Amino acid sequence: MDAVTPYDLRPWIGVYGSHIKAELPKPPQASVAAMAHAAATRFASHTAFTTVMPNGMYGSLSYRQVDEHSDHFARYLRKVLGLAAGDRVAIQMPNCLSYPVVLLGVLKAGCVAVNTNPMYTASEMAHQFKDSGAKVVVVVDMFADKLEEALPHTDVEHVVITQVPEFFPPVVGGIVHAVMKYWNQQIPRHGVAATMLREALAQGAAAGGDARAWWGELDHESLALLQYTGGTTGVAKGAMLTHGNLLWNLSQMRAMCASHIEDGKEVVLTALPLYHIFAFTVNFLCMFGAGARNILVPSPRPIQNLQRAIENYRITWLTGVNTLYNALLCEEWFTAFPPKHIKAAGGGGAAMHHAVVERFEHVTGAPLVEGYGLTESSPVVCFQPLNGQRQKDTIGIPVPMTEVRLVNDIGEPVALGQPGELIVRGPQVMRGYWQRPEATAEVIKDGWLYTGDVAVMDEQGTFKIVDRKKDLILVSGFNVYPNEIEDALTRHDGVLEAAVIGVPDDKTGEGVRAYVVRRDETLTAEALMAHCRKLLTGYKIPARIEFRDELPKTAVGKILRRALRTEVLATTNPNKG
Amino acid sequence: MLSETETKLLGVMMMVIMLGMGASLTFKDFAIALRKPLGLVIGILCQYGIMPLLAYLLATALALPPAYAIGLILMGCMPGGTTSNIFTYFSKGTLSLSILMTMSSTLVAIAMVPLTLAFYSQGIEGQWQIPRGNVIQVLFVLLVPTVFGIALRKWNANVGAVIELIGGLLGVLVILFLIVSWVPRNWALLLATGFPVYAASIGLGLAGFVLGYGLSRLLKQDSRRARTIALETGIQNGPLAVLIVLLTFTGTQQQEVLLIPVLYSLFIVLSSSAVTVWFRRITTREELSRDAAKIGALARA
Repeated sequence: MDAVTPYDLRPWIGVYGSHIKAELPKPPQASVAAMAHAAATRFASHTAFTTVMPNGMYGSLSYRQVDEHSDHFARYLRKVLGLAAGDRVAIQMPNCLSYPVVLLGVLKAGCVAVNTNPMYTASEMAHQFKDSGAKVVVVVDMFADKLEEALPHTDVEHVVITQVPEFFPPVVGGIVHAVMKYWNQQIPRHGVAATMLREALAQGAAAGGDARAWWGELDHESLALLQYTGGTTGVAKGAMLTHGNLLWNLSQMRAMCASHIEDGKEVVLTALPLYHIFAFTVNFLCMFGAGARNILVPSPRPIQNLQRAIENYRITWLTGVNTLYNALLCEEWFTAFPPKHIKAAGGGGAAMHHAVVERFEHVTGAPLVEGYGLTESSPVVCFQPLNGQRQKDTIGIPVPMTEVRLVNDIGEPVALGQPGELIVRGPQVMRGYWQRPEATAEVIKDGWLYTGDVAVMDEQGTFKIVDRKKDLILVSGFNVYPNEIEDALTRHDGVLEAAVIGVPDDKTGEGVRAYVVRRDETLTAEALMAHCRKLLTGYKIPARIEFRDELPKTAVGKILRRALRTEVLATTNPNKG
Repeated sequence: MLSETETKLLGVMMMVIMLGMGASLTFKDFAIALRKPLGLVIGILCQYGIMPLLAYLLATALALPPAYAIGLILMGCMPGGTTSNIFTYFSKGTLSLSILMTMSSTLVAIAMVPLTLAFYSQGIEGQWQIPRGNVIQVLFVLLVPTVFGIALRKWNANVGAVIELIGGLLGVLVILFLIVSWVPRNWALLLATGFPVYAASIGLGLAGFVLGYGLSRLLKQDSRRARTIALETGIQNGPLAVLIVLLTFTGTQQQEVLLIPVLYSLFIVLSSSAVTVWFRRITTREELSRDAAKIGALARA
């Protein structure tokens, strides 16, 4: 046996001090549904969610209403549609009041939720629905036309349509809907045979039955979520997150922030999309459990959309990515009147810029702590502590009950201060990838999740990411996988071969850059961009396309992305601040 | 001439419009604007510097008789019209600036309108003068719903936003109402009206656009803000002028003074629409070329 490694000593426990509990009890509730029901019972009359439109119009749901509506949706799924436990239901909508109702309804029905990015193209949707075997899709009306294109390639049997102002007061909801439809023309015509969410809830209410019977059968091992994430192979895979994974991560996050979260008192601004695992676990689950009020913003772009939400509510918590904080700090309405009641802010997804953190803390007087996680770990692995010895420009320390090691290429722990691949073991680590045992075996070995990120640890147990082993590109917190982009590029007849890498970008953290060898010399970058737009979501489209005569390759002909990256870094001397 | 009921109806509608305008802003918006007051200063300068002077010069140059001259000068002294916000929205202008300018010119109207009106109407015969009291009274009555609107917005964002919308729609409806109720009954008058009156009614708005744009460019505003200020300057609160005339004059005198404010209101909708289409094209083209420049810069980098 090896000697005790620096990681086994868990030096970060020293940083926990008296603020963070090192040992956490097993989450008392058997499922997320049970947790939500308990919170809804305890905080029944509190406002749970408020959706705020850019002009300040809003709609709210109390904890009791969320509980009731989600019960009705669970009954609709089980009694009206006849779904069975474990059936997959895809949810595709921006932040709105329907999201928590539908998500909790799915979990209460004992079904599995498939979070889907509403900005996906039809082919991306088709892949995700087909792969997950989703039988039901709950989609926002804004994207129903793309769903119509995708449907024939999936096993979806029922479609439920909702709208952004769902559950708004009638007049206000009517105005918001009319403005979206007629003025902004954001709601396309479509021919999807669907049930409106309102109707589905009414049918569920009429169907009767006790949802408790369904979620009563769930335990920590039950599958709750298929959270899709791209892969180095270019195909999006569903990370299987169980009720236990999510409940543990919720309680780990809660422990990290114990000093700054008071039950029933917090107001959290959710500008990041709930279909993304970070906002899902931290903003939704963790804050719902704490009886907080969630202020949902359907779209944080333009950033001005957040103005009324920040002005009109006593925001105490804020989460975001570097891009979002950077944008906020460029707004006079934010810097002149920063939220007065803010206690703390959390950042993640991609490395936070030092200057952004400094400026945010100067403007608001509240700490902006950075964390680290990945879809496969529900997501939080590390976070900077809110009290005690916090070190900026790091990803902080592992959350309680989480083991982290840095290892070399053959899986042996590296010495203190040496860079190594970060691996994680803990109750938040996924069960594996949905129906992809080989892919699972590649990342989970002996219960350790191999993140592909290279980090270093200091004596106190604080980690810092130095590089990424995988070539994945992080654009504003979204994973972009070069293979997928290369695949899209090479589908163009004029393209011989392509290589895609991430290059440092001041705004988005990283930007997608493509190197293309043309087959047809008349092909222009514009034409290729237009081709990409048909196949890929906005953030995946290369910010720049460069034509080359050849691409660097290994002896066996594998394109060397790393060589291109080195070349870019050498010439641009990116400023990593 | 408008009937008693119509006058009252107009008064009520004006209150709702002002309520809606108040509901479109928060105190914080003002506080932020005051941090960089140049925008506000330009707004006030255009509204109470350029426009009244322009009206006076037009009246003089076209040698308008006193009834028309007072109508035109009154029109020039009015604060910004709420419809400018709608046109700004459609022309892809800076909406927040437009709202702010309309609102600030309305709030200071109670002091500025009587002042400028008295100054520029000095040379006009007594019977055509508009008593200061009338102006202040109307403006004060309208200030109340404006402030009430701001308070409503603060109290409940939903109520505020709905009222803002109703006020905006009503702004357009009132002008239509004026046209529909006034034009048919004064058909003969319109036919008999000579070129100078039309030139004044149309020219005030058009020259306002040009001068507002010029001044803001002179004060180093970017072209998009300058286009917003141009629309804001040219578009005056027509219904407000009509209301003041209705409360001041009666009979044929009222009818004559009313001519220019009504014609102005009619033509400003038409000219603003045309300008909006034009501005929208320019803004779109600028946006596209900015994007293209970015891509070009990237390709060269």
